[in-house]
Amino acid sequence: MTWVTKLRGAGKSPPRVGLKEIGWSWLGAFLGIAAVALIHFKLLAGTDLLLLIGSFGASAVLIYGAVKSPLAQPRNLLGGHVLSALIGVASYQLLHPWPWLACAVAVATAIACMHLTKTLHPPGGATALIAVIGGDQIHALGYLYALIPAASGALVMLIVALLVNNLAKTQRYPEFWW
Amino acid sequence: MNRDAEHSCQVVVTDEDIYQAMKEIPGYLDITVGDFREVYQVAFRNALERLREVIPVARVMTRDVVTVSVAAAAAEVAQRMAEQGVSGVPVLDAEGKVAGVISEKDFLVLMGAGRHRSFMEVVARCLGTRGCVAAPMKAKTAAELMSTPALTVDPETSTARVAELFHAHRINRAPVVDASGRLVGIVTRSDLLRAAGPSEVAP
Repeated sequence: MTWVTKLRGAGKSPPRVGLKEIGWSWLGAFLGIAAVALIHFKLLAGTDLLLLIGSFGASAVLIYGAVKSPLAQPRNLLGGHVLSALIGVASYQLLHPWPWLACAVAVATAIACMHLTKTLHPPGGATALIAVIGGDQIHALGYLYALIPAASGALVMLIVALLVNNLAKTQRYPEFWW
Repeated sequence: MNRDAEHSCQVVVTDEDIYQAMKEIPGYLDITVGDFREVYQVAFRNALERLREVIPVARVMTRDVVTVSVAAAAAEVAQRMAEQGVSGVPVLDAEGKVAGVISEKDFLVLMGAGRHRSFMEVVARCLGTRGCVAAPMKAKTAAELMSTPALTVDPETSTARVAELFHAHRINRAPVVDASGRLVGIVTRSDLLRAAGPSEVAP
């Protein structure tokens, strides 16, 4: 297969999901993000802590919108965020004089480690990146960043996924736990 | 073999079938049609190989075996084979153990089939002489006609191994006997073909 034939692609895109599933995805994502955001804005306001980071928007796509995906399972959701958070914080602390390098090392290493541990979760890449570019509040957390917001936020979203995804007759979650 | 398996599953499942299936299954499936096809093809090939290797003979053998006793006369054996529509029978001794096997080929040899033990050799000989070529065996018993000792297999033998034995010994059937020597079935070439055929394993 030459480079050019590879570029052309083969086959067509998968079918669109049913309207019911789209409805359930909307509901799950709404409740999941609402839970995390309420804690973030109501409970943690005025503290140094935070719960809402951008990567949870991406996690919501997976755990409420692609429920069956291996990337959306609890092992991947929790493992991916925690591991990537640790790697992101380490990258920032070791390499912050060279921000561009800290960013690149954080994301690339996060992907490699998620693969190695079978916890690949695409939003983990964002969690690692945010540890570097998230600003002073994030940097001040140090390795606590892996626990709050990464692990706790993911856990809240997981609980909502377990409740909502299993309400639909045609859906079940998770496919596997660990 | 692998190419056959791939070929046959391409016939069995088209991209359109996969696309339709993905539409029927509710929820978003995080896989492309092409990836699914590839997984399916490799899995199908693995299944074929697994089935070929590990199907025990007990699963494909014929359990209702037509048998004759060692004392049976040639005419009786021939009649029984003709009535039952089989081309070979195990010969059982007084204790019910397999003493040998009689096949059409054993008859052909007595009827003058030569090196190839083929029916055509008998026809050729028949047309060249007068009288029935089967006459010389009228007085014979099953014990004299049979090939002995019989090659038997136990129920756990894999079909792959049985196929090897059939090929190596140029035989078409083997009695299946349990540990105590009791006849539990018979496995023939057609049983093996049926086991290996795509119709058995294709979804």
